[in-house]
Parts: sequence; C-alpha cells; structure tokens
Amino acid sequence: MTKRAFELPVLHEPHRADGAVDHAKAAARFTADEARTDWHDGALWWVRAKRDLAAASLDEWEALRELASSIKEHTLSRLDEYLVEFEAAATRNGVTVHWARDADEHNRIVHGILAERGATRLVKSKSMLTEECGLNPYLQARGIEVIDTDLGERIVQLRGEAPSHIVLPAIHLKKEEVGDTFHDHLGTPAGLADPTALTQAAREHLRAKFLAADAALTGVNFAIAETGGLVVCTNEGNADLGMALAPVHVASLGIEKLIPRASDLGVFLRLLTRSATGQPVTVYSSHVHRPRAGQALHVVLVDNGRSTQLAREGFWRSLKCIRCGACMNTCPIYRRSGGHSYGSTVPGPIGSVLTPGLDLERYASLPFASTLCGSCTAVCPVKIDLDAQLYRWRQLVTAAGHASTGKAIAMRGAGLVLARPWLVRALGAAARGAMRVVPRRVMRVAAGAWGRARDLPPAPPQSFRAWYRANRSDRS
Amino acid sequence: MTTARDAILAAVRAARPAATPLPDVRAAAAAFVHPDGDVSHRFAEVARAGGAHVVEGARVDVARLVREAYPDAARIVSMLRDVAGTAPMPADPHTLADTELFVCEGVLGVAENGAIWLPQSRLGERAALWLATHVAVVLHRASIVPHMHAAYEAIDVSVEPFGAFVAGPSKTADIEQSLVVGAHGPKGLTVVLVSD
Repeated sequence: MTKRAFELPVLHEPHRADGAVDHAKAAARFTADEARTDWHDGALWWVRAKRDLAAASLDEWEALRELASSIKEHTLSRLDEYLVEFEAAATRNGVTVHWARDADEHNRIVHGILAERGATRLVKSKSMLTEECGLNPYLQARGIEVIDTDLGERIVQLRGEAPSHIVLPAIHLKKEEVGDTFHDHLGTPAGLADPTALTQAAREHLRAKFLAADAALTGVNFAIAETGGLVVCTNEGNADLGMALAPVHVASLGIEKLIPRASDLGVFLRLLTRSATGQPVTVYSSHVHRPRAGQALHVVLVDNGRSTQLAREGFWRSLKCIRCGACMNTCPIYRRSGGHSYGSTVPGPIGSVLTPGLDLERYASLPFASTLCGSCTAVCPVKIDLDAQLYRWRQLVTAAGHASTGKAIAMRGAGLVLARPWLVRALGAAARGAMRVVPRRVMRVAAGAWGRARDLPPAPPQSFRAWYRANRSDRS
Repeated sequence: MTTARDAILAAVRAARPAATPLPDVRAAAAAFVHPDGDVSHRFAEVARAGGAHVVEGARVDVARLVREAYPDAARIVSMLRDVAGTAPMPADPHTLADTELFVCEGVLGVAENGAIWLPQSRLGERAALWLATHVAVVLHRASIVPHMHAAYEAIDVSVEPFGAFVAGPSKTADIEQSLVVGAHGPKGLTVVLVSD
C-alpha cells in the first residue's frame, strides 16, 4: 500500500507561542545540578525496576503485549467505524457526544458546556489531552476556577509549572519544594516536608473543592466502542470523586483511545499499571456508561493532529500508546534531563515521536534527545517501535533543514569523509598521531560535545584495517 | 459546511492503515498457564500487598467481622441488610462527606491483582466509596476468579451506569515516590472474605 509522503504539520498549540525547543540546552541546565540529576535518575530507575518485577511475574507477559499491539493496530485500521460505533452506543446510553477537530474547538466546546449551566468551579483529574489543548488557561481567562485534583498535578499547578511526566507529574520536585509550595498556597507550617502530612493537607484542601465543584472533567484511559463506555484509572480516586459529586461530567477523549470490546480491557488493564508503576492494577478502574440520575455526561472526541499522524506511514503506530510512561522511566536521556527539557506536553521517547508531528520546526531537537538504545521499545506494553520512529523523524528533520547548524555541518563532513576510504585512512592516521602528542584538553575540545564530559581513550597503535591485515587476512 | 464530526471521520477514513485482524482474546487467554493453588488465598495475599486489610470468616458473622474491624466507627452507611448502618443512603451524595465507614458487598474478586468489582447497584450513591473515611467490602470466596480475562467473562460492564474494580484504599506516591495511603478517597479498606 502506498503511503503519502510526509506532510508538513499544520496544527498549532495555541498556548505555546515561544520559539523552538532546544532540548540539549535545556538538559544542560537540568544536569548542572549533578546531585539532583542523580536523584532524578535513580527515582525513575526504581520505578522501572518495579515494572520489571511486575512484568516478570506473568508468564504470559509477551503474549499480552502482542495481543495489546494487535488490538490497537486493528482498531486504528478501522478507527472511523469504531468511532461511529462508540458514538451510537454512548448516545443510546444518554451521553452527549461532541467532536473537536483541534485544541481550539475542544476548548470552545468544554467552555460552552460549562457556560450553558453557569458552572464556574471545575475539578479536573489527570488529562494529558487537556494539557495538550491548553484548556486550563482558556477556561481561567473566562472566569472559571480550574482545580487539578491529582496530587502531583495540583502541586505543579500551584507552582505554575507543567507536569514533567505523564504518570508522575511532580517527579522532578523534592519534598522540601512541595512543602514550600504548600506553605505558600495552603498554609501548611513552614518547613513541613513530610509526604504523609503534605498529602493530608492536600486532601483537606481538595476535599473542599470536590464538594463545592459544579462540574468535573476527566481524561479517559479507554473508550469501549461496542458499549459506549469510558474507563478511567486512578490510584487516588480523584477522578471518581469529581464524577460522583458534580452535576456535570465532561470527558475529554483523544480519538486514539478507542478499543473494540469490553473484553479487550482484560489485556490492557493487566498491562497498564504493571508497566506504569509496577502495581498489578490501579486502585480504581472505573467504568462509566451512563450519567448519574440528574447528571449530564458529555464526551468530547478530539482529533488535534491524530488523523494526520495516522496518515503517516512510519509513525501511525505511535497512536497505539496507552500513556503508561514506561518509556520515560527507562530512557537514559529522560532520566537525566527531566521532563521539562522536552518543552512538550508529553515528554520522553513517546513525546519525541508524537510532538514533532504537531510542529516539526519547533520540536526539531526532540528526535535527537535519544541514544537510539531501544530500551523504550523493549518496555512498551503495546510494542511501539519508538527507536525506529525517532530515527525516522531525524531523517525528516534534517531533510526539512531544521537540524542545528553544527549538526548539519558535522553530518555533511562525515558524509564526505566516509564516502572516501583513502580520506578515512589519512584522517585516522593523523588523529592517532595527534592523540599521542597533542595535550588531552585540546583533543577534548576537538571531540566536540562528545568530549565535554568524557575522556578520550588512549590512541591505538594502528588502525583496525592494519590490525586486520596483520592478524586475520589469511582467514578471509 | 462540513461538521467537525464529518471532517474527522473523513480524515480518519483517508488515513486508515492496511486492515489487520482483531485477535481472539478469549482463545489466547484460555492458553495462559496460571499459578496453582487456591485463588482466594492468592487474592488475599495480593490485596494485602496493595494495602487492604483482609479478615476472613463465615457469612453469618459478617456484622461482627465488620464491627471488629472498625469498633470506633460512629457514622456508618451500609448497603448490606445484615450489617446495620447508623444513617441511610442520602439523596444528595454531598452529605456523605462525614461518613466514617461505608459497607458494601462485591460481585467478584480477581486473584491476580486483588481487585473487587463493585457496580452501581452495590454502591447506592457511588460517592460513598470515596467520601467515607473507611470502606469495608464483603466478598464471597466462591466469587473469586483467577485473572482479569475471567472477570470480564463473568460480568457485563455495560448493564449498569457505573462500576469499578477497586483494589485497596486510595493512595498516592506523588511526593518523592513516598507511598501515602488515603489520598482523596478512603484511608483504609477492609475486605471481609466470607464463606457459607
């Protein structure tokens, strides 16, 4: 089947008006604090280790990954049919279904639902989609109080930051920083940094918000086409408190979240939390099919670039993602650069595959925020070929002329040299000679960015070619 | 003017990758090999690891088992005929906020993850499950299935407006990965595992 050539992205993230993201520069700011970098790295690796234990506890783990991948690929291959099936079933259930082509349309629809009912106090549970759409500032500018209720999200909201991880939004913060934030905003005693006491303070603060809310907004983990149902997974129970109390429930749903059948949930719920945190399942896996008596239930189906990504041969499989965050926890770059260095709603390997599709020039540096080690692909519960997609984006970024000047010159130079064996030999001999006589600090400068944090190895006495001729040529 | 719905559906239709088959999950799951041993024992072990208290006894003693687990609870809302509550299920869920103990009965338990299926009809106002300080869930041993595939075979999630798999008390690890029980919902959850 022939696939259209790469189309230049046309979508905008309206709340991001600043310039291009420079991941390497942002990462350098993060790693300037070496102790914090090590701590961040260790915290995420610990989560990765828990994921490994949980995965190893199931003999059928690989079979489940294969099933999950196949179900998602099948669903995406007839997504229009499943969307129509979902809409029909949900409508029969008494749910109002809306469609939004992009972030602006999504925000307008949500605001319209709230405005119609005069709702001004909204409690939200974790929804990366509404982060992507910039919903919070949109609603706040229209006089609506928006409270993120997931503890990690509330912490970053109070600090005026974005989540740095899709499952662990405040993983970049130390408890003392959370304590300072709560002291400023919630009136906890100065210096209080005990996680239990801070969580208790947030519980009381947010309980009042839940009880006073006149609307609740949730994300959706899975939407069931055959039944029109929504599945929302949390450990804290914040999504449930919102849905169970407020007179209006709005669910923001990316179109790629559909699955065909309820029985498919057996596969996905077994994989999701084991991959995310190493738990066998989230504390609450809630299935919503109909509004409560007297409640209005709205679903907003959002495209915002997903159909464009679906059309991209080589990238559409990124839409299989179930947002577990395992690729972030395992990524050596993410762990040592922090989620904010990506400058995109979804950071880490999956973010670096999804986000360039929204604005290639702005996010040109993200596909390079990887060693292409493939660890992300190895842990992905839906078997997305993340490292291969990162590599493909690099080709497109460079072809579009968005690679940094230094990288472009270096690549062109490497291409010239590597195409000429005599030049490789000559430069190799020159480099070996230079490494023996030129001071090490000078050679490190010559090694460029690579040499900044590394020592060059001692120069070998001969080239590999010469060594091979002397030792192996008789055997070839 | 095309509607957003039509535009999205047209874009998705134009973008569809080559068709692939939908796998037969039931057949695949039937081939999985599961650990030997009593599923209710495994359920209890996993539920405890997830932060739940598990007490065991006979169905006829359920009122006593609940009382022993929460001897000090003064404001109790109960969905069980044989466990007395101190207040009825209210019409407005907001008034459940001062509930100290909510008692309900699960439909089935899942051994692999310690989760219990609680549909709307077992909850009354579902807010009780999150507003109460403590929750006691009665579960019959015979209702425990080995894994989630069996759970979805046994229930139809679409017949009730709402249903949840609940595995332990609410918790969070959002501050420096320190596990704290009692995030927004209950601070404690007791499973009363009963047999006839």
